[in-house]
Order: sequence, then structure tokens, then C-alpha cells
Amino acid sequence: MIGTITRATRTHLEDFFELEPLYTPEERLIRDSVREFVQSEIRPHIDAWWTQGVFPEYLPRQFGELGVLGVTLPERYGGSEASYTAYGLVNRELEYADSGMRSFVSVQSSLVMYPIYRYGSERLKNAWLPKLASGEAIGCFGLTEPDAGSDPANMRTRARRVGEHYLLNGVKRWITNGTLADIAIIWAKEEESNEILGFVVETDTEGFQAVDIKTKASMRASATSELYLDEVAVPISHRLEVRGLKGALSCLNQARFGIAFGVLGAGFGCFEEAARYTEDRLVFGKPLASKQLVQARLADMLGDLTKGSLLAYHLARLKEDGRDTPARVSLAKRDNVRAALKTARAARDLLGANGITTEYASIRHMLNLETVSTYEGTDTVHTLVLGREVTGQNAF
Amino acid sequence: MKIITIIKQVPDAEARLHPAEEGIDLDGVTFVIDGMDEYGVEEALRLREQGFDAEIIAVALGPQRYEEAIRTALALGADRAIHIETDTVLDPITQAKVLSNLVSEEEAELVFVGGKQADWDSAALGPALAEALGWPHSDWTTKLDIGAGTLTVTHDTDEGQEDLSLPLPAVITTQQGLNEPRYPTLPNIMKAKRKELKKLPLDQWGGVQAKTAVVGEAIQVRERLNRVIEGDPVEAARELVRLLREEAKVL
Repeated sequence: MIGTITRATRTHLEDFFELEPLYTPEERLIRDSVREFVQSEIRPHIDAWWTQGVFPEYLPRQFGELGVLGVTLPERYGGSEASYTAYGLVNRELEYADSGMRSFVSVQSSLVMYPIYRYGSERLKNAWLPKLASGEAIGCFGLTEPDAGSDPANMRTRARRVGEHYLLNGVKRWITNGTLADIAIIWAKEEESNEILGFVVETDTEGFQAVDIKTKASMRASATSELYLDEVAVPISHRLEVRGLKGALSCLNQARFGIAFGVLGAGFGCFEEAARYTEDRLVFGKPLASKQLVQARLADMLGDLTKGSLLAYHLARLKEDGRDTPARVSLAKRDNVRAALKTARAARDLLGANGITTEYASIRHMLNLETVSTYEGTDTVHTLVLGREVTGQNAF
Repeated sequence: MKIITIIKQVPDAEARLHPAEEGIDLDGVTFVIDGMDEYGVEEALRLREQGFDAEIIAVALGPQRYEEAIRTALALGADRAIHIETDTVLDPITQAKVLSNLVSEEEAELVFVGGKQADWDSAALGPALAEALGWPHSDWTTKLDIGAGTLTVTHDTDEGQEDLSLPLPAVITTQQGLNEPRYPTLPNIMKAKRKELKKLPLDQWGGVQAKTAVVGEAIQVRERLNRVIEGDPVEAARELVRLLREEAKVL
């Protein structure tokens, strides 16, 4: 009963409110090209990668050749100068296969290339952006620590200025791509000012070590690591031109935007699987899909994902206009992850016993989405951002 | 040297089509570049990547909506495009005549045409274009090498395959196996926006009179039975064979 969903089925319900004509021809082509890539290069293997807990080493180059790394950046740095809508659609198509695939691209594009592009010197940009765009180099983003997650300002990692260098000391945890990375964007407190600074750290620098977290029951086709920095010497020229937490937060705002689109891919993957399964599976002599309780759940999925799609699309257009306020991004990240996670759990349930095997995608998506709900601002943190938006009072 | 690749746009093979009273209801159907034409674009790109100095021109003859297929060809790497825009349905002989004017005017020396249209199954355009131009032609081409003024090709025949040598200029029609077309990359999709897409009217080279006119269409429809055979697998297999033999009459 496992089979590919025809594009026609996808088009009809995946675009129930007819967003298609609102995309530019380039956005449609980009979406289709990534879709084809995912269909032939990722979907046949993703179950095995996830089960074995591997992220294939050759994938970054393939991503680079297709051009999905840093899509919104200027051509001279290896980008495509595509719209944020196109970037969003890229994320959605990748996450249709697996959240880990989208995570890689999110981190590389929004958390590594973006800060270098926005805050790095021309030299840093020329040194790293083309290589990151081609997949020749891989980056990671070190903000979160074992004891500082939702409150990154409490980080312990320190940067001590010594002559023409900074010496970095500390531990970062839950870092996507950590062990794969050639460079790490490390956020650390400057000892004399107590202000947060960002650094481009080459991971082969002495004192830098990355170790994978092996016990994950989620996001298994993605490397999640711990970084240890022991007197890591970083030249002053590798410091990003931004002071305070706002530098790191501006990167997260980019990545969260991508997630608002991406999770719809996972959600639609589960929805389509559940719709197909319940159509084929007979119970008491009739297809599951003929039962009212089943239909109610499928209808909820369609509703949640359709609303999420409209929200993501409009957020993208706002973003292209510079009006993607952090609170709007929080709403989209939070509510679209909720929609996708709810869909994935319901799909898992509708698949019955088959739903607990990774021969079907729903449980894999469901487990991945538990991570997505937590990372890039937990559901709770986004709720508090929205609470503050409504009341003007900070409840953190 | 200029290479022209002829592009058509057809309904996505994976889409479900609905017959209308006359022909097919195309409302809401996803259209794509014909896969057979993609082989032609890909082969032209590969010739250039092998170091062959060529300008690649994607050419389409058809309605306004063909533009999206043309953009795909540009995104794949064609240098520029020409769209002869018309809503008139033309038979392959007439299409070939119009296109031969364009090929001559552009002084192209190699033309790729899709082996068979995915929508109406016609394989006539390539040979007809070769005939109109008075050029040699290889059909169902699965391998192509270019030398000084000469092509060496392998093409399918009814009974097997044949190797041919033909002088340029020539028309090549494609067959599955010629190559594996690439995906359009994102940078190329964005760059394609800046490439020239010239529009020409159908009567650019004088009035066009179709040789045949479609006066009616009946579409053959095959419905799925959507039947599930229940019960013991051995019994179910037996029942399946019976159905295939007695009802479907395919065994």
C-alpha cells in the first residue's frame, strides 16, 4: 500500500484555496524542480537514513548543485536572488521528505550564510559564502547551551580579547550540523563588556571539538551535536559586526520563517498518507474513509494545513516587503508547527498498527516535528511573545 | 553554430485528465514541458558542455500557455527562446512548414525535436520538418556524437538498432535513453528571467493554411475498477487470474 502520490492529488488538496496563480513563474519552477529532486534523490532513501541515523555526506554538494543553499542571497555570493516565497517553497518541498533535510538547508541558509552576509566583512563573505552556497563548506550555528535554551542571554560561553584574537571558552549543545561543519557561527559574551558577540570559527582551530548526540528518537537523518570550545583562538577579523542578542535573534527570525513553510511539507506528507491509507483499508467491509469519525479527522487536517498555507504565503509576501515583525513570525512558526504536529499525530493514529512502523512516513514526521516544536523558539516562548504583543507585558 | 530545440507543452503525465464533451477539459490541469523535448534540450546542453561552440535556441509553436514550458527550457540552460504564438491547432505538416522558415532564417544547423508528443502521440513533426528543410533525419535517436560537419548517431528501429552517419545540417528526433535530463537549478531558473523570449506571429512568413481541420473528437476512457479482492491470498490470486482472463480478457 506504499506508493507515490500522484502530483494531481497533491495539487488539488495541497492548494485548496488556489495560491498557485499568486506565485511567479520562477517560484513555480523552483518549487517543481526541488519537488522532482526530492522525489528521486531523497524519498527513496529517507527511511533508511532516518532509521540508521545518518545524514549522507554527499547531500550538501547535491543541495549546492541544485542551488537550494542561500537562495535569497545575491548571485555574486553564490545565491540565486530568489524571493522569500521561493525560499519558503524550497523548505516545504524538502520537509515533505523529512524535517532533517529542511533543517540542514535552514541552518546553512538562515543561520550561517545570512549572518555572514548581513554582519560579516567583505572578506568573510567572499571567503565563505560561495563555498557554503555550493555545499563545498558546511556551517553550524552555536547559540544554545546545555543550561541556556530559551534564555540565551544567560549563556556561559565567553570571549576574552587577547591582542589581535579572541579566545573562546564554553559548551554549545543541540547544534545541527555540528560534526559536519567547516565553520561555526559562535555566540559568546565578551568578558570586558558582557555583551554577546558573534564569531565565524573555523572548526579545525585548536581547542574546537564537536561530538554527535546519538540518543535521539527524533530528527535522526540530521546531525545534532555538542560543541566544546577550549581556548579557541579566533582572529578579530572573524567577528561579526553586531553587538547584543539581536544579532542572533535576527538569524532565528529568518530560520523560523522557513520553518513556518517547511512544516507544511511534513503535514501534507502525513495528510496524503492518511487519506490514501483510509481509502484503501477496509474495516467491517467498508473503506475506513467512509466512516464519519475518520472523515472528521481528515477534514481537520485539510483545514489546519490550508490555513497554515495561507498564513505562510502571506507572511512571505510581508517579508519581501520588510514587514515580517518577530511577533508575526512567532505566530506563523508556532501555529504551523502545531498544525503539522496535530496532523502527524492524527495520521499516525489513523494508520493503526501500520502507523507505528517507519515503512510509513507519518511516525517519522511526527517524531521529527516534536523537535521542530521545541527548536527555534519553543512553542511556549512563541506563545509568550504573542502574549506580550497582546498585553504589552513581558511574562518571560 | 546554432542549435534549435523544439518545445511543446503537454498535460503532466501524472495528472488525471477529464474528458469533456469535445476533447479534454484542461481547466486546472498542470502542464509541463514534453519529456521527449527535454531530451533534446539536454542533448544540446551536453554538446555545448563537451566544448562544442553552440548557441541554443528553444522554439515553440503554440498557445500563450506554452510560455511556461519555454521558461523551463531557458531555466535548463537554453540561451534564448522564440515563441510563435497561436491558438490555431495545426497539423504537423503545416507546423513543420512554419518552423522550417524560422530554422532557415536563424541559419541553425542542428534541430532537436521530441520523438513523440506525450499528449496526442504524434511522431510526425520531426520527419516533416526534415522534409520541409530538405535535411537528413535520424528518428528515435538514443546516442549522438558530433564531429566536423558530421553526426554519428544510434537510433532504434522496429527490429533493433542502427548506427548512422549524417552530414550537418540535420534534424534529430529523440528517444528515451538519449540522456538523463537535469533538473533546472535555482540560479539558472532566476537567470532565465533575463534571457530573451521573442514572440512572433504565426503569419510572420506569410499566411498559414492548415492542411487538415479537426471536426470532432471522441476520447477513449479507461476507468479503474477500484476493486479489492478479499480473503485468502491463494484464493485471491486465483480470483485475480479469473478476472484478468474472463473479464479484462488480457490473459
